[in-house]
Amino acid sequence: MAAVWRAKVPPNSANLEEARKRVFDFFKLACRSLPKVMDIYNLDDVATISQLRSTIASQLRKNAHIKDPKVIDMLIFKGMEELENIVEHSKQRHHMIGQYVVGHHGLVQEMGTKEQGLSPFLKNFYKSNYL
Amino acid sequence: MGLGSLTSRAMIRRASTILNTTRSHNFSLVRSIVSTPELKNTASAAAEATPDPPLPPPRPPVNNARVHFPNPEDAIEVFVDGYSVKVPKGFTVLQACEVAGVDIPRFCYHSRLSIAGNCRMCLVEVEKSPKPVASCAMPALPGMKIKTDTPIAKKAREGVMEFLLMNHPLDCPICDQGGECDLQDQSMAFGSDRGRFTEMKRSVVDKNLGPLVKTVMTRCIQCTRCVRFASEVAGVEDLGILGRGSGEEIGTYVEQLMTSELSGNVIDICPVGALTSKPFAFKARNWELKGTESIDVTDAVGSNIRIDSRGPEVMRITPRLNEDVNEEWISDKTRFCYDGLKRQRLNDPMIRGSDGRFKAVSWRDALDVIAEVMHKVKPEEIVGVAGKLSDAESMMALKDFLNKMGSNNIWCEGNGGQPQADLRSGYLLNTGIADLETADVFLLIGTQPRVEAAMVNARIRKAVRSNHAKVGYIGPATDLNYDYEHLGTGPQTLQEIAEGTHSFFSAIKNAKNPAIVVGAGLFEREDKDAILSIVETIAKSANVIRPDWNGLNVLLLNAAQAASLDLGLVPESDKSIESAKFLYLMGADDVNMDKVPSDAFVVYQGHHGDQGVYRANVILPASAFSEKEGTYANTEGRAQQTVPAVPTVGDARDDWKIIRALSETAGVNLPYDSLIDVRERIRTVAPNLLSMDEREPATFSTLIKPEIKKEINPVPFKPSIENFYMTDSITRASKIMAQCSSQLLKK
Ligand code: SF4
Ligand code: FES
Repeated sequence: MAAVWRAKVPPNSANLEEARKRVFDFFKLACRSLPKVMDIYNLDDVATISQLRSTIASQLRKNAHIKDPKVIDMLIFKGMEELENIVEHSKQRHHMIGQYVVGHHGLVQEMGTKEQGLSPFLKNFYKSNYL
Repeated sequence: MGLGSLTSRAMIRRASTILNTTRSHNFSLVRSIVSTPELKNTASAAAEATPDPPLPPPRPPVNNARVHFPNPEDAIEVFVDGYSVKVPKGFTVLQACEVAGVDIPRFCYHSRLSIAGNCRMCLVEVEKSPKPVASCAMPALPGMKIKTDTPIAKKAREGVMEFLLMNHPLDCPICDQGGECDLQDQSMAFGSDRGRFTEMKRSVVDKNLGPLVKTVMTRCIQCTRCVRFASEVAGVEDLGILGRGSGEEIGTYVEQLMTSELSGNVIDICPVGALTSKPFAFKARNWELKGTESIDVTDAVGSNIRIDSRGPEVMRITPRLNEDVNEEWISDKTRFCYDGLKRQRLNDPMIRGSDGRFKAVSWRDALDVIAEVMHKVKPEEIVGVAGKLSDAESMMALKDFLNKMGSNNIWCEGNGGQPQADLRSGYLLNTGIADLETADVFLLIGTQPRVEAAMVNARIRKAVRSNHAKVGYIGPATDLNYDYEHLGTGPQTLQEIAEGTHSFFSAIKNAKNPAIVVGAGLFEREDKDAILSIVETIAKSANVIRPDWNGLNVLLLNAAQAASLDLGLVPESDKSIESAKFLYLMGADDVNMDKVPSDAFVVYQGHHGDQGVYRANVILPASAFSEKEGTYANTEGRAQQTVPAVPTVGDARDDWKIIRALSETAGVNLPYDSLIDVRERIRTVAPNLLSMDEREPATFSTLIKPEIKKEINPVPFKPSIENFYMTDSITRASKIMAQCSSQLLKK
């Protein structure tokens, strides 16, 4: 939580243009801290810098439809907070792997259409030994 | 009860209080520690006991034991606490009390060992005898009136307890026996509530008995159970008593390790914490363990065991009583192999990449790859081998699956090229493990029972000790723990016996219950049919097979062997492995991998990264015997079941499920979805595997076999087990077993 107390809330962005610039600054800042993140969380064997970079980009793009500068400011603030937490090693390795390496779909791969036509036995077999 | 008797009782009580007060005035310096106050005045106790309270109903025998009367006329009647019981002649007072349902406290008495009578805990009062008698050593006599619950008996126990505790350390909080200690329990039940001992306790130097048994000799109460066990059951004169009186110690006379294969059992019979398990030391308390009653698979005996687990971890293995199989002992391999269950485990399906390294994949991918390869090879190039630890269900599934794929090349390791699976009597221990005790002449052919099946060896030793059975042995020089006659090393000796020119032939012929035991190691020989037919000739001419006695036995080596032959896992051709393009190893680690063609695709399904994995292209992780429910038939044809004690490791699956799933991916669905369905399928092939815990003897003797004329090969028999402690993937992964082989096997 220390990061939160220290964080200076910058004045609101005057217009969309300024908010947009701040987003790019934030992205650059995050990308610059990636080597350190790789180092402190020992992520070399599970991810590369470019993978993490595209994860960050995709998280930003998820909010691409937002046009209100105030909302963008707020999201940048939250992103900043998260970034500081990460860089200060306030998180642990499995948080990083869970949130940014494996992603939200988790370890269970969606079988989708492949599941069709399998017997209930085989479906259970793929899930666990105890079904 | 009338008013008169009440007043008289009150008067007596007043009189006794007066007596008591005068007494305590006179001896006020003596601190009395007797916790049963009525003892202070025997006169008053006797007077109070006169109006007899109604007797409680008689109790059933301890442990519901049944008494067997060898000769009905020899029954004698004794009275235990006023009840009459009939016991056979020769029973001790303690046994008579057990029949009457009274459990007598004891330390040195053990029903399977000789009587020592040196702890004195079992004192009871016998009418007309001046002093309390040690019930374990006193034969019951007709009309004896035994009293187990009188003040005198109680006082005697209390006194003995006080003497035992005098030199016993107050170690319980750091003692591994705590919670299952006879001394702890009995001092709670019979001991005094205070001690008078203020001097120093004695201390004894601990002995090093090797990697299995930990000693804290200060705790020993000199019951000598361990000494008697070592010399009577295990047959090694390793332990003994040194010194006398309070200088008495248990030890090996000269510094040496305990070299018996049954040494772990002294841990169970030691009533205190003097001998405990070294690998289990300080690992867990017995009340936090979950016990699961299961079956051992490290040899073909199928010893009954209890797997004690805590959470997902097997903490120890202890024996379970089964009079027909292992009595109450187990071998050291059975008891201490459990740490192998935690090492070298396979936990993910893996595929070997082009760089020769394994890569973890999902079950779906692994099965898809296998199914694809299987469809590319010719059916007769598909070969399946079941491992020595496989259960009947998975072998059934494997056989059905490969048959559906069009291949019939499937066998179980250890059975040799063309096993004889048509007649059950041809591969079972027909006499039965328990009945071996009654044999009076043994002929061991190419088998070293001491390392192949330690529990069977204990039975043979019992026969040698109790009926002075004669043992003849043909095979390489070996060390059996009883007297035997080394007749020769190879098949020639066998031929001499068959022709009747050998002196041992008359011994077999004149014996009442002769037993011939053939080792399953011979199955690997080229000339095994010839050898077996010679053995049959001997059996026929010496009248070894009679309607009431079948003395022709085969001693199997592995847990899976009997069930695999029952299910008919017999390969179509001898040379199938040399021409295999697809090899399915179901836990088989002892297949000679040099013979497998280099372009063959090898699938290894199993629980340990053992020898089979080195050549495998795909690994499928399976569950070990402690994690699955499986049926095993032991060497005498007794079907028994393992019960899962702990969850499986990682992403492993039960063996039969893997094959069932693979069959679906390969497009030849096996028709069973549950263990019950698989067993139904087994019922059509080998129904004997479903009658649990029952020994189904082979119905038929060997007399109508086709005559086989084959030349025997004069090469001497080889030992079939090199290292008793490491025979399968679990024991090879075990650190304790590795320590044993390095320390105990060095010659
Ligand atoms: S070590 Fe145990 S079994 Fe052996 S004499 Fe002492 S108390 Fe008895
Ligand atoms: S049990 Fe009888 S003297 Fe030990």
